[in-house]
Amino acid sequence: MKKKLSPGFLLDIFFESLLALRDNRLRTILSILGITVGIAAVMTVGTVSKGGHFIIFSELETFGLKSVWVYRDQADKDPHRAVRAGTGIENADYAAIRAAGCPALRLLSPVVYGRRDKMLVRYGNKYGNGQINGVGADYLEINNDTLMYGRSFREEDISRNRQVAIIGTDVQRDLFGPLSNPVGRDIRIGERKFTVIGVLAAKSRDFLASIGSSGGQDANNRLLVPYTVFQQMTGFKDINFLQAEAISLPDADTAVSQIIRILKRHHSDRFTYKSGTMAQYIRTTENILKWVTFIGVVAASVSLFVGGMGIMNIMSTSVLERTREIGLRKALGASRKEILIQFLLEAILISFIGGILGLILGILAGYSLAFFSHIPLEPSWPMVLVSMAVSIGVGLLSGYYPAHHAAGLKPVEAFRFE
Amino acid sequence: MIRLSNICKSYRLGEVLLPVLKDISLTIGAGEFVAIMGPSGSGKSTLLNIIGCLDSVESGSYHLNGIPIDGAGDEELALIRGDKIGFIFQLFNLIPRINAERNVELPLLYAGIARHERKRLALAALESVGLGDRALHSPMQLSGGQQQRVAIARALVNRPDIIIADEPTGSLDSLAGREIMEIFAKLHAEGKTIVIVTHEEDIAAFARRVIRLRDGRIERDDIRP
Repeated sequence: MKKKLSPGFLLDIFFESLLALRDNRLRTILSILGITVGIAAVMTVGTVSKGGHFIIFSELETFGLKSVWVYRDQADKDPHRAVRAGTGIENADYAAIRAAGCPALRLLSPVVYGRRDKMLVRYGNKYGNGQINGVGADYLEINNDTLMYGRSFREEDISRNRQVAIIGTDVQRDLFGPLSNPVGRDIRIGERKFTVIGVLAAKSRDFLASIGSSGGQDANNRLLVPYTVFQQMTGFKDINFLQAEAISLPDADTAVSQIIRILKRHHSDRFTYKSGTMAQYIRTTENILKWVTFIGVVAASVSLFVGGMGIMNIMSTSVLERTREIGLRKALGASRKEILIQFLLEAILISFIGGILGLILGILAGYSLAFFSHIPLEPSWPMVLVSMAVSIGVGLLSGYYPAHHAAGLKPVEAFRFE
Repeated sequence: MIRLSNICKSYRLGEVLLPVLKDISLTIGAGEFVAIMGPSGSGKSTLLNIIGCLDSVESGSYHLNGIPIDGAGDEELALIRGDKIGFIFQLFNLIPRINAERNVELPLLYAGIARHERKRLALAALESVGLGDRALHSPMQLSGGQQQRVAIARALVNRPDIIIADEPTGSLDSLAGREIMEIFAKLHAEGKTIVIVTHEEDIAAFARRVIRLRDGRIERDDIRP
């Protein structure tokens, strides 16, 4: 013989569970709180991790996510052989790479900085300092640099050695004051006169700015001139490094190897080259973030586990106190299964209510963190589903032992005196 | 029909095995009104629990309406307890957090009956014990006699053949006790099999047959004409 559950059995039992939980209000609230804290912790970890991901990506994006750079490996310098001096990249190499039309490569620019000296800049009687770089026409686009005023370099600026410059906001402020548009003004860099054609939009000075394409320079202190002009000024004949943009993030490594192959061929393997890609930094930071999130999830899981123990504890107490009631229900025709369902439902109810409250708390915590830190933190919606599932799971797991115990009680208990 | 053959049952008290029922054989026919009496410790409650399928036997066999009870599974026993037997307890055993009507509904809930039908049957059962107007009261708001009548309504709601009652008047004053016993007499007149445990002679006087236990054995079995 098989028993079938009544239509509406669950609903009635659910109603009774609510009443039973209300009977032990303080106890119920405390165990709900345990789950609430656990789920809120899980949610906050999810939100912060997602926010961190966002911060790192948006930060790296300002330096060009698909950007790569190739430079000579200075470790291969052999002091006994003079022929190996130099940067290993010449103007002819740059032209050759451009002419080769590498398919993974979208943009390419030489960067010449000579001995990395700061240059004195003058406008009228105002002076300033800037890190001067000789660059190609693609430089701004590769580095995701935008202009506050003016225009970028054109190919003819480079090829015709025009005396034009693009300046960073620090240089602009020192020479012209922060609010005036200096485009068209003539400034002096060293002995030469340059016409300002553009002002770079300010970039973040955060720690992340210290990595990547700007190579540890202060991005807002740059002075950009055509590399051909810079070579004329300094007598420096080589290119310090090549910067490029791959057609896509996964193609970054291909782009690098294509550039290096051409360079090696041109120099008959006399030099070795190194490269950096934004993709490397992204991988590294994502890895770090993954571990941080993992540790956070572990910590949050511990508090959820403690919450689950709380439920197990109060459900065990409740089963003990209601031994007579369970015996009575069995005498009235309840099967093991029906008693099991009833007590599991109570446990799940506690953890589900705790889960919902934890969810609300976690979302509020995320938004208030966002408000105070000015970082656009958003609740991670998949995490919402996960924490709901987890809270039901915790209820099931921690309720199972007490419920199983209740279901196994003998119906004679109903007749025993208290 | 209740048929017990050579029932033995003992309880373990620490190291000692305490025999409670010693080789009890007993047949109770359909429609009988039986009172089981005896001093405390004589095994009368244990015998009642076995008859009510609430406790297992150690040896011997028990058939209820021809169905062997020893060896029945959990769901089968739950079905028998729910459908065939109505229980009445000394301490009423009402669930305090739900109202009288919902208490009476419980056996119907476990019997798989739909919601609106449960409500209708429960109200009818409360009507039949004279508590139609107390359906929405919580057990705490009712007197002892009224609580026991709710418990009787609950025992009757599934229309069982057998009513099992353990000291049903033990917690009531004599007037309320008498009212309860009059309900039992009426049920007997309707053809229900009734088995009660009591230690009061005037309560046992309502029954047609009185079985007296002593030290786990049937001492006397008197049937009144």
